[in-house]
Amino acid sequence: MAGVSGPHASAFSAAEMEFLAEDEMIEIVPNMRMEPLNFISGDFGPFRPQIPTEVPLWLAVSLRKRGKCTIRTPEWMSVEKLTQVLEAERDSEKFQPLPFHYVEISRLLFDHAREDIPDVYMVRSLIEDIKDVRFHKIGTGLEIISKERTYALRLKNLSAMEANIVRPFVTKALETFHKLSSSEMIQETDHISNRQPQATNRGPRRQLKDR
Amino acid sequence: MNISTMKLPEAHKNGENLRPSCCSILWDSEADHIVTASSADNSICIHDAVSPSNPPKILDNHREGVTVLALSPDSTCLASGSLDHSVKLYEFPGGDFKTNIITLKLPVCALAFNNKGWVLAAAGDDEGIKLVNTFTGRISRILKGHEGSITSMAFGPKNDYFASLDSTGTFIYWDLVFGCTLYVLKAIAPNYGSDVSLTNILAWSPDGNMLAVPGLKNDVVMYDGVTAERLFSLRGDHLRPICFLSWSPDGKYLATSGLDKQILIWDVDMKQIIGKQEFIECISCMAWKPHGKALAVIDVMGKYGVWESAVQSPMKSSSEDVPGLYVRNGFLLFDEEEESGNLNEDSFGESVPPCRKRLRQRHKNEDEWKKENDDELEYILKFKSFEKSYHGRKDNVANGKSGSRNVISNVVPKVQEAFQPGATPAKAGQRSFLCYNMLGSITTMEHDGYSRIEIDFHDTSRGPRVPAINDYFGFTMASLSENGCAFANPCRGEKNMSTLMYQPFSTWDNNSEWSMQFEGEEVRVVALGDSWVAAVTSINLLRIFTHGGLQRYILSLEGPVVTAAGFKDELAVVMHISPSLPSDDPMFEYRVFNIPNGTRPLRGRLPLTPGSCLKWFGFSDEGQLSSFDSKGVLRVYTNLYGGSWLPLFSASKLNKSEENYWVVGLNTRKLFCVVCKSPESFPQCTPKPILTLLDLSFPLASSGLGADCLENEFMMYKMHLSQIKKSIQEMGALGHDTTSLEDETFNLETSLDTCILRLIASCCNGNKLVRATELVKLLSLEKSVRDAITLVTALKLPNLAERFGNILQEKLHNEAIGNTVLPDIKSNCEDSIRTNNSASSKFFTAPKIGKTSDNIISSPLKHQTASFHLVDKEIK
Repeated sequence: MAGVSGPHASAFSAAEMEFLAEDEMIEIVPNMRMEPLNFISGDFGPFRPQIPTEVPLWLAVSLRKRGKCTIRTPEWMSVEKLTQVLEAERDSEKFQPLPFHYVEISRLLFDHAREDIPDVYMVRSLIEDIKDVRFHKIGTGLEIISKERTYALRLKNLSAMEANIVRPFVTKALETFHKLSSSEMIQETDHISNRQPQATNRGPRRQLKDR
Repeated sequence: MNISTMKLPEAHKNGENLRPSCCSILWDSEADHIVTASSADNSICIHDAVSPSNPPKILDNHREGVTVLALSPDSTCLASGSLDHSVKLYEFPGGDFKTNIITLKLPVCALAFNNKGWVLAAAGDDEGIKLVNTFTGRISRILKGHEGSITSMAFGPKNDYFASLDSTGTFIYWDLVFGCTLYVLKAIAPNYGSDVSLTNILAWSPDGNMLAVPGLKNDVVMYDGVTAERLFSLRGDHLRPICFLSWSPDGKYLATSGLDKQILIWDVDMKQIIGKQEFIECISCMAWKPHGKALAVIDVMGKYGVWESAVQSPMKSSSEDVPGLYVRNGFLLFDEEEESGNLNEDSFGESVPPCRKRLRQRHKNEDEWKKENDDELEYILKFKSFEKSYHGRKDNVANGKSGSRNVISNVVPKVQEAFQPGATPAKAGQRSFLCYNMLGSITTMEHDGYSRIEIDFHDTSRGPRVPAINDYFGFTMASLSENGCAFANPCRGEKNMSTLMYQPFSTWDNNSEWSMQFEGEEVRVVALGDSWVAAVTSINLLRIFTHGGLQRYILSLEGPVVTAAGFKDELAVVMHISPSLPSDDPMFEYRVFNIPNGTRPLRGRLPLTPGSCLKWFGFSDEGQLSSFDSKGVLRVYTNLYGGSWLPLFSASKLNKSEENYWVVGLNTRKLFCVVCKSPESFPQCTPKPILTLLDLSFPLASSGLGADCLENEFMMYKMHLSQIKKSIQEMGALGHDTTSLEDETFNLETSLDTCILRLIASCCNGNKLVRATELVKLLSLEKSVRDAITLVTALKLPNLAERFGNILQEKLHNEAIGNTVLPDIKSNCEDSIRTNNSASSKFFTAPKIGKTSDNIISSPLKHQTASFHLVDKEIK
């Protein structure tokens, strides 16, 4: 799959990310009666009108397209919760816990189930804001890589989309730093250089940036 | 009967079984008399405030509780409004009855004199406020505009304006010169809906510049007396909405009483709290002493007292001429005996001095105080139960002495009104459900004089699409079935008669909807079935129509209807059969009618949890009669023991006090309901409420076995099994094919055996060996008995294994006899069995059992035996 994504060999395209996110579970309220569906990934249903049930996002979206259900907005997508997250995101250095695929899920819901989301404009702008704040944080955070010798980055609560965007750059940068800092090792054979320099040359522990 | 009690801080808070009533208290302009009344009592008492030992004057001209009192500004005329819809005028302070000045159509909630005393405004649940000339008795003007019932109104001291407030929180300023509305402020005060025990209150400041109204945030909001602009709000220590407020006569102070049972005294200029007092009960009414700083208070239980130092001494008193009697700091309490039988001078004269003595003792001795307080509380409790026993006796007024006391509670209606299952109360400006069931919903919203009704099916793929209906009748009842929907409205005056309308969803005739008008009666409940429409009316007639509108049957019912529900051919009606029990529990009877057959298969008393009322009534998906009461107990009718109601769900067992369950339906295993966050007890229409599934469970006693869910499962399976066997019998008798039912029986039996085996295991672990033996006898399959033996052997209980072996022998023996006696049953069973019949059928009534039950039973069993080995090891 990664091969499809063009020049950045390690990055997925947004569409691929969306595809991955479609396996997340979401609650729907069907308006039809249907027997349980038996899929390879598991059994979903039974579907009874007006009684919520959990299905994968892709199924929810396809049912929604046919007008067979309404999608229940996940709890984290309420205006109240998002406002809290946005505030906390602005106040703190750390990333707030959000679903791993929050960008993709919200995007899918905005595209296919606008009517089911209460205060959709508010929710949308909040999510955009949160996204911006987080990307900005990542951007400023990455600057520290160049200043000192960094071997690894710990980014807690980073979401899939965010990780995907920074991955090619970060891995390449770390690799380069590693090569530069252990220049004497480069001459040696590859498989040794992988481990030993890290064990011996390891910089101060605080290099692991906890974000 | 008003009993004095200490209203002191840290009083015991008893929140249960409150039956609060709306009480009123007044001072006359000379502060010589205190007038009290209670909506739970039909009498008005005029107490002598100067010498409280004198017995009060009792005015008992009203037939029902007195909700409101008003005194003309010159204190010569007392007006009282009552639940019996009348407004009476009395001479004051003599108390001689003058006249019935006006009678409204509905209970009176608010009265107000203008500042000259010759106009009396009367309003309540009626539409419009009526202004009456007190001399001629003529209605001079009717002010219309409120949607809710009017709870408070007042003439502005400058007499140009008049302000009124209704129970939905709408506040209207009227211009009396033109009789029109000047300002309408909607939803500025708490919305109490139909709960009439809580009243919104407004009060003009004595100079007429400001108007105080309770706000939405437990505060008091001041509005400008001329422009109705919001000036400021007094917000402070009230934890719950304010239910009464009163300006001191000089306009410096404001007393507010909250539902949180405390009174706050505000300095209005400083916007500060200067006094605070907590009470045992919520204070329903307060009155400042006309020349002084005392505040007379009366609580919802009808106990009254005078708070002498409502304004603390550093503050400037409202007036200087404080009588010497009231110099003591604290409460001066009066005993009040209104019970007509107990009323004589001696008893009253005696009762007061000890009370005061106690009061002094309390100031002296803290310990004694506590003891006394306990006594007092006990007394209150007794009093409550006493009052409760009177509760709900509206019907037998002629019942001697007690009959004269019509206790009107505003919390639980005396006689439960007729209701439509799945309907929510109407709210102005909001959509409300006329009907919400497992099929769909009917919602209505009033808009510009007519309502718009929308019918939605949950299952949009199956249900027909019904366009929204414009409803000019004002339908308040509806019922929805697959074939059509029925609507009905109550009678509204002579021109607007009660109407029943039926709209079929799919017929070949486009014009097949019909409506019926009822003269002299009104529809109370409608219900729908497969081929019939039923309406129960106010004169206890059950009218049955066909889908086409043909009037088929008219039956007379024995009592007023409570509710009705339909399912296929069957109609179930719940009605009152006799006045409530002394314990205040209503007496309901249910009837089930089979409409096409013209039979009545079932009748009997409807069980209810003590102290509750019926909330929902209907049929389960399988057609079993079910009821849900306000205490959250679901009952289902079964044929066990000749027809009994089984309690199958109890909200209190879930230990989720913050949730209320609004039942929509049920099937054999699950209860479908809408979960509402307390204090809401019913859902809103938007967003469309979703159904939550809750497991049915018996209210089991705790056996200490640690297997409550197994015990519950066991009883559930047993119940289902008996139901299925019953239906097999019925179907068999009718000659229908019972194969699928027998398959179900078999499945149930295997699951039951699994459950029993687990129970045996937990019994053995709990050392309840006799119970285990009893359980083995209940196993239906031979294979399961063998499993049980394996189980107890693994548990190292050889004694038990031997007993089980004997039971198995016995079982096999009996079955062998049974097989020879009843070969036809066996063959019948075998017919239904799938092809993999094995030859091992010799020992079994149902040969396939052994085969399929293997994998069903053995899986949990394996698991269990494994865990038992572990336990054994641990013991060693």
